[in-house]
Amino acid sequence: MTNIIEVKHLRKTYQDGDAEAQTVALRDVSFSVRKGEFLAIMGPSGSGKSTLLHLLGLLDTPSKGSYIFDGKNILSYTGDELAKMRNEKIGFVFQAFNLLARTSVLENVKLPLAYSDIPEAQWDEKARAAIEAVGLGHRMEHEPAELSGGEKQRVAIARALVTNPDVIFADEPTGNLDSKSGKNVMSIIQDLNERQGRTIILITHETSTAEHSERIIRLIDGEIESDTKVARRLKASDDLVK
Amino acid sequence: MTIKHIVKTAITGLRTNRSRSILTIIGIVIGITAIMLVMSLGAGAQNLILGEVQGLGTNTIAVIPGREPTGPSDTAQLFSDSLKPADIVALSKKANVPGLVSIMPTVLGAETASYQSNAYSVSIFGATDLIASIFSLNPSKGYFFTSDDVTSSNDVVVLGNKVVEHLFDGTDPVGQKVKIKGRNFKVVGILPASGGGTLFNFDSMVIMPYTTAQNYILGTNYFNRVIMQAVSDAAVPVTSNDIRLTLEESHGITDPTKDDFTVQTQQDLANRLGTITTALTWFLVAMASIALFVGGIGIMNIMLVAVTERTREIGLRKALGATNSDILTQFLFEAVFLTGIGGLVGIILGSSLAYIISYILSAGLHLNWQFVFPWLGAILGFGVSALVGLVFGSYPAYKASKKSPIEALRYE
Repeated sequence: MTNIIEVKHLRKTYQDGDAEAQTVALRDVSFSVRKGEFLAIMGPSGSGKSTLLHLLGLLDTPSKGSYIFDGKNILSYTGDELAKMRNEKIGFVFQAFNLLARTSVLENVKLPLAYSDIPEAQWDEKARAAIEAVGLGHRMEHEPAELSGGEKQRVAIARALVTNPDVIFADEPTGNLDSKSGKNVMSIIQDLNERQGRTIILITHETSTAEHSERIIRLIDGEIESDTKVARRLKASDDLVK
Repeated sequence: MTIKHIVKTAITGLRTNRSRSILTIIGIVIGITAIMLVMSLGAGAQNLILGEVQGLGTNTIAVIPGREPTGPSDTAQLFSDSLKPADIVALSKKANVPGLVSIMPTVLGAETASYQSNAYSVSIFGATDLIASIFSLNPSKGYFFTSDDVTSSNDVVVLGNKVVEHLFDGTDPVGQKVKIKGRNFKVVGILPASGGGTLFNFDSMVIMPYTTAQNYILGTNYFNRVIMQAVSDAAVPVTSNDIRLTLEESHGITDPTKDDFTVQTQQDLANRLGTITTALTWFLVAMASIALFVGGIGIMNIMLVAVTERTREIGLRKALGATNSDILTQFLFEAVFLTGIGGLVGIILGSSLAYIISYILSAGLHLNWQFVFPWLGAILGFGVSALVGLVFGSYPAYKASKKSPIEALRYE
């Protein structure tokens, strides 16, 4: 199977206030992700997992190392080309949902389409399909303030899905949710991976959440501490039935 | 991004902070309102003045003695006695000034007129019978003096409305005699009130044949002003040039810069007054523009706040695929949209106010004042307000577009 992500000797440093001090967020990280894989990246806060997500999600560029995404060396890409890649190939789900206030569910989900090359005539159909897929067909015209946390995160997932991306990055997607809503969201994410074959990269600090994936990379102090297969994978839909 | 989406986003953005958006717009509204008001009233004043000047007939040409000083160092004498009867003869010759159809020498003076125990300070205006047609004067009672009266320097006068009011307590003045400088003059006609505001106000004038005024009151043999009419408006430039050449020859002047007289046309006067009112209007527009500038700074201030407040939104949009120029366009359009609305409201408000003021001036003060919708002001005002949005919105929009998506998403 082909790799969708290949990173080698990835390093990211931040310049602090004065020129001398440097903070190393990622030291030397190398791994690859197969197409259709469900990977969880774990680590305590400050371990560099957010930095890694930003680099993998094309939101930031590394200080050193190489990054091949979908067969392309994206380090040579311009800002606009990266924006296009994010729009077409990547979907983001954030811990804080990041939905636009005073904007309906439907319009929120259409947002990525506004920055795409997809003709406007297809936006409605695509957005409605994505919302139906996360089970919120009855909430199309509602605004985020009228939704529960779990529903908001499902809207965010629909928004991530609407451009039909190859990879979905989920950054602590259950962090702001109660356990039942969290399970619901995890079951949708698992479904995306298993039935639709999308590559999922999940960032979390909870082992119970990480164990829904096939493989866990643990980061400590900006380095990979372990990279293991999940022996007994949790199935979110099983818990929901109980 | 499609235009439709940009507009939709801007409306949502501005609606989210409705009261703040309205307060921000007020600065622009005031600026544009002031500009519209000044331009409309300026145009109204210009029309009023030009209307009066042109009411005299645009084919009218006047010659006054003396030359206009060309600058502070020009110490020209006044030449107050340079227009003599010989000039009238020379000007009246068809060969000299072919375009001339009528010529009227006039003299001016100030005296006290009395009737029985009443006395009143009046202006003496000595003219010929042509005065009635040149100034469109119609006696409300009696008649104007004739050319015979002029030739024989008869003691006849026509009185302005105020003179009648002050001298005659209700008695009919026509046929009565008023006393000026110890001499009795028979009143042959009286004029109706000419109303306020006119440039040539005959209300406190005593009009008589210029020969009478010269012989019995002023004791002079020169003229204060010679008023002529050209055959048509188009003939005015040629005719006024002929007049100048004739007078130069008659006065023995070879260097035109040493002329001891000035030829004025109504068209010159209209142009000059037009220039003055236009300059005044633009000066006031410049003052009003300061309000617009302050409004623009208000826009910049608010847009900077909005950019900081919406850092997360910017980050999200970038994560979802917005390019820097998408973000720039969005914020820039929001600013232009905001100021554009302000401009429209200002145009409506400013012209409404100008309309009300025009109404008060014409109805309350009986001025012949007409409301003018300043199209130039409206187009300019709308363009400038959009430009203000563009200029003062560009820095905040630039800042927004340069925000790093991770900084933006991390921002709480």
